[in-house]
Formats: sequence, C-alpha cells, structure tokens
Amino acid sequence: MNVSHTDAGKKGTTERRSFLTWLSSTALAGSAVISALANFVFLKPRATYGAPSRFSIGRPDQFPSGARIAIETRRICIAREGNQVAAISTTCTHLGCIVGVADTGFACPCHGSRYDQDGNVTGGPAPKALPWYQVKLAPNGDLEVDTNVEIKAGTYYNL
Amino acid sequence: MKLALSIASLIVLVVHGVVFYDQFFHKWERYQTAYFDQARSQARNDAERAELSERSPRIEQIIVTQFGESRVDRCGTCHIAIDDPRFAGLGHPLKAHPYSAKLGDVQVNGIWQRRHKFSDFGCTVCHEGQGRGLTDHYAHGEDHYWPEPLLGYVVQANWKKEFQPHLKGKDYMEAACAQCHSEEKFAGTPQIARGRQLFFSNNCYGCHRIEGISDGTLGPELTEAGKKFKVDYLWESIVDPRAGMASSFMPKFDLKNDEIKALVIFLKSRHGVNLTETSLSQYRTRLHATGAPASETSTTLAAGDIIAKGRKLVEDRACAACHKIGEKDGGIAPDLSFEGLMKDDKWLVDHFRNPRVVMPDSIMPGFRFAEADFQAMSAYLMTLKTAPVSASQADTFQALCARCHGDKGDGLGKTALYIDPAPRDLTKVAFMNSKPRERFVQSVKEGVHGTSMPAWSKVLNDQQVSGLVDYVYATFVKEKGRELKPRNVPEKNPVASSAQSIQRGEGIFLARCTGCHGRKADGKGPNSLDIVPRPRNLRNSPFVTSLSDRRVLEAILYGVQGTAMPPWVDYGLSVNDAGDLANFIRSLTQKSARPQLRAGNQTWQQNEQ
Repeated sequence: MNVSHTDAGKKGTTERRSFLTWLSSTALAGSAVISALANFVFLKPRATYGAPSRFSIGRPDQFPSGARIAIETRRICIAREGNQVAAISTTCTHLGCIVGVADTGFACPCHGSRYDQDGNVTGGPAPKALPWYQVKLAPNGDLEVDTNVEIKAGTYYNL
Repeated sequence: MKLALSIASLIVLVVHGVVFYDQFFHKWERYQTAYFDQARSQARNDAERAELSERSPRIEQIIVTQFGESRVDRCGTCHIAIDDPRFAGLGHPLKAHPYSAKLGDVQVNGIWQRRHKFSDFGCTVCHEGQGRGLTDHYAHGEDHYWPEPLLGYVVQANWKKEFQPHLKGKDYMEAACAQCHSEEKFAGTPQIARGRQLFFSNNCYGCHRIEGISDGTLGPELTEAGKKFKVDYLWESIVDPRAGMASSFMPKFDLKNDEIKALVIFLKSRHGVNLTETSLSQYRTRLHATGAPASETSTTLAAGDIIAKGRKLVEDRACAACHKIGEKDGGIAPDLSFEGLMKDDKWLVDHFRNPRVVMPDSIMPGFRFAEADFQAMSAYLMTLKTAPVSASQADTFQALCARCHGDKGDGLGKTALYIDPAPRDLTKVAFMNSKPRERFVQSVKEGVHGTSMPAWSKVLNDQQVSGLVDYVYATFVKEKGRELKPRNVPEKNPVASSAQSIQRGEGIFLARCTGCHGRKADGKGPNSLDIVPRPRNLRNSPFVTSLSDRRVLEAILYGVQGTAMPPWVDYGLSVNDAGDLANFIRSLTQKSARPQLRAGNQTWQQNEQ
C-alpha cells in the first residue's frame, strides 16, 4: 500500500515535470516565432515620404463637362467628357518638364514634344505617351486620383 | 524550479504577444475599418459599395510645403471622415471637421466648400500637435516633451494645476491663424488684437522687444515667443515671473485672467515670420518698416502745447502701468502725482534718457523715444505740483510713505519688491535708535540720492516733516533709544586720496568686504542674498557722492546697527585703513582716475558716458 502510493507519487511528479518542461519550451518557442514573424512587417514600409500618391482633387461638379483642367501642384490634367472623368499626367516623358494643356492636346515648353488629347506622342523627342492614372470616387463624394496605378489610355471613370 | 521556469516563459510569451499586437494592430486600422463599414451602409449604389470593400486601412498623409518648413500631417489616418459631410454628427475620431463661415468656408448650391482645404493646408498649421504621430498620445502632443500640443485642446500633464483650466479653449487657435493673417485688425483674431493692446497698455513694450512692434531691451526678446514657449510657460511667466528664473525682476502686473489669456494668445502668435511671406516680401516690409513709437518731426511748440503733448505721451505710453499718476496706480514704481515738487527738469530728462544714470539699480527701462518726447514728458511732469492735503500725520504717512515703506512701516509696501535699494524698515529699532533724529529729518527733506526716496521739502513744510518723524518714532520704533554717545570719527578723511591709498583700500576691500558687497562692489556678494537690508551697492554714484566722509568712516569703523555691517574697528581696522577704503570706494564712482576692478562690471557706467 505504502509502496504503491510512493510509486504513484513518483509517477505523478514525473508527469508534472515533463508537462512543465513542455510548457516552458512551447512558450519560449512561441515567443521566438512571434519575434521572427514580426520582422516581416519591416519588409514593407508603413509610410513613405514625398507627396502622397493617392489624393483628393475635389468634387466632380468642379470639373464641367468638356473641361480639361490642369492641377499643376499634382502634375495631372483632369479631363471630363459628360459623365466620364480621367486623369492624365502632365509630366513630359522626355525630361520631366510640366507640359502645357490645350484643347488640342499637350505641348512641352522645354524641347517641343507634342501630344494629342489622349496623351499620345505626335512630335518632338518624347519617347512614349503620357500615362493615365486611376480615378475613383472617394467615400465622401470627392474625386480621388491614384498616381501609383496607371491605366490604359482612354479608360474613363464613369460617375 | 521547473515551475518557476514555465511561469517565466509564459510571461515572456504574453509580453511578446501584447507588444507585437500593440505594434502591428493599430487603433487607426480599426477606425478606418469602422469608417469603411459605416460608409458602405450609407453608400448610394453598388459600385460605391464595391469601391469601399476594396479599400484597406493605410496611413493617410498630407505633405504641405507651401507654409514655412514642410509638414507631414497624418491626422487623417485616424480622423478619416474629416472631409465627409455625412459624418458631421459623429464623435471623434470619426467626425467630419465642421464647416464655418468664420473660417471662410462657403456654401455653393447647398454644398459647403472649404476655404482652407486640408489637402493644401494640412492640419497642424492651425491645430499644432505632432503631425506624424499615429497614436493620440503622440499626435495630440500630450507627451510633455513635445513643444506644440494641440492649441487650446490639450494640456500636458506637467503643466501647473493652478492655471491648467485657463489654457483650454478655441480662442488659443487664433495664435495659429495669425501666423498667416498677421494684419493688426484681422477680424478673425480679436484676442490677438486685445493682447496687442494690453502689450502696450501694460508697458510690456518698454522691456521686451518684438520685431516691428517694440524696442525694449531689458527683458527677453519675444519676437519668436510663440515658437519658443508653450502657453503654460507664457501664462506662468506673466502671473509669476520669478517661477522660471529666481533673479527675474519683471513685475507682477495686476491683470485679470481674461487679460492674461489675451496676452498669452498674442505672445503665442509671435513666430517672427509670416508663413505666407517669401524672403523677398519680408525684405520689402522691413525696408518700409517704421519704428514702433513713431517719433514726430521736431517742430517748435508753444509751452502749453508741449505740456499737452507730454500729458498725452505719458497717458498713451502707459507710464501708469507701473507708476502712480493721480488715480491710476500700477503699484510697481514710485508715485508721480506731484513729481514737479520733487524733481527738476534736468533730473527728469536725464532719468528718461537712461534711468540708471541717476538711479543705478532702477528697473525702469530706458525708452527709445525721441528727445523731444522726453522734453515734453518732463515738462508735463513738472506741472504736477499739487501737494496732497492730509489732516493728520498718520494720514500723511499713509498717503505719501506707505506705498514704499508699507502700512506698518516695515519697508514692505507694494512697490518695495521693485525698488532697489529697498525702502528702509522703520520698525528696525536697532537701526532707528542708532542714528540721530536729524539724519531722518534730513532724509525726508532732501531725499536719499541714488535711491527712490525723493526730497519732500516742497511737499511738506518743516513742521510737517518734524511731525512725520515723530509719528514714525512713536508708531513704528516705539522703544526710546539711549542717548547716543559721540563717536571718535574724524570729519574729514585723514588719508589723502592717492594711487597708493586706493590700492591699499582695494586690498582691504578684496580681503574683507567682498563676501557681502561683492567683488564688483555692487552689493551682490555671495552672502548678500541672506542679508536684509541688502548690502549697499558701492557703485551707486549719486548715493556714494552724497555721503560725507564722516558717514562713510563711521559706517566702516562702527558698523551700521540693525544691519549686517559689523564694526570693523573690532576686527582690527584702523582709522587709516578705513580712510584707504573710503578712498577706494570713492574712486569707483569718480569719473576720472577710475581703477579697473579685477572683475569690474561697467555696463551702466558706459551708459553714463
């Protein structure tokens, strides 16, 4: 009786010990895994410096139909046709000057590059067409342009 | 042992978990998700809903480069609905910024349009705070190391409890408006206009310089006060100037809380530059800038006109912010109500040009007015010749003496703190009974040169002076002194002044006197702070010059009872040593043959020249 009790006690102690060992190692391994995984967060920066790529440009009714309005600080031109809006870059693809906006297209004052209304090159040293940026309606009803997303020339956003 | 280890490792796991959760799952993500959800429920069509579903939380930042240093404002990361009119009624942070005609917002076809678009102006240009912060503690500037907490909304934990509640309120944001709207009469900043007016009416301009506004040199420059100081520091410096710096002699002005607030807002708006100005336009304004108190062209005025002009100047330039003139009493500086009976024209003009020439320890600023203005102000003050009428000696004392010497004669009148040398404590029996009565009669009648004690002989007749001295003896001294024994002090200095004598005197002075009178002999030695009355400033030229040889020698040899000056005859000084010392002391204030003290402070003497 006595002996078996001692045996049972010994067995209980061993179980408890191995459980504690398991618990400690799991907990420490867990912390190590969390720390290791946490490093992946640093792969992508949370904030970048420089002007934000997605910005609001104001309410749609500020851009009447048929208007082509240049926003110089943002280096884009907003073109609206009826219910369709598009944002075209006004940075010359040649050496980065700001191109002038006219009804017939774009003209660069630096080296005479010329583009048509959709931004395709019609003359001068420019190597490729002006990019079009994605336009969306922000939740508050403002138009929002994302200069990180280039879209196919001629794709308008339907209001 | 194993139990301890497993508990420790569990704790490590939990701490790791909490830290990383806190670092990677942000409040602002939750705010943005909540905003997208609510916006989705209010969406008008499916396209909009789909649009919103695509959005994921991210840091929203505005970079403003047009105003001064470029700013990065990430406020919109939490305050995501700031420009969404549908969220006007919600609580922070999902609240739309209110529209207000006061801010220049206009309604077009029933839709508000902002005058200050957030994409162009950012947030911190008006609200201050820390634009890059992503937690409210840091972004709102609650961290007490951050110099710019949200104006009028956030008080930092270490700000004094006494005035913390006064430092909140939308009014404080006017200070930010004025960084661009710096026009004097700008309608949106009434508190700043009031603060500016108080800055003049309390004579702050006399001591403090603000570029383009005032020229004072005694106090710290405040041109960039708004950039350098937080509102709590500004408030504290006004209500308790000595809290920040024990040696400050800035007076405590009698201001109400709303006046202090206006002054603080005015000072907070001082940034030195207008953010809309380019360096070219700054140069242009400086080129056309006129000095603050415009000096008029000198035309010959009739005597009456000069006095009228002087009166206007004295009123306009806020002399009564410190002095008493008739009914107005600043409670800081001497009574000028009958200045014409106490001073002469020359003294007044000299004093205006540089107060420290005639009163070496005066705290009055040397105003940079035109010479003609000084003449006119002196001419006006000289017309103040109505002696006050008092029925009894007690009334006379209360009317004329109590302002400095105190109601109880203890030398603690309301102006006493700002007067140096301090008014005499008339209750100090040891002093009062160690001097002959004639000395006090003389001090009242002729004043004490180089101090704020004026000559009363034209205000009070001999009989009144005598009665006043009797009143002081009876009321404040009380104890009857013993008959004074004549002391063995020569009338004239027995040692002729010579370079050797002065050198010997300097040796004794440096060995014996500097502990209290200081190495500069300006009465500011290391022990001086513990001594009341303070040791004499021996560089006070008008005072020292007015002393007779006998009085100097007696003070050195037999000490001054009731003060810390000991009888040096007990410490082995001979009459000749005292004579050398007297020669040395006089040499400090004589214009010719002035020896250079080893650490001589000659600032005011340079002014004198």
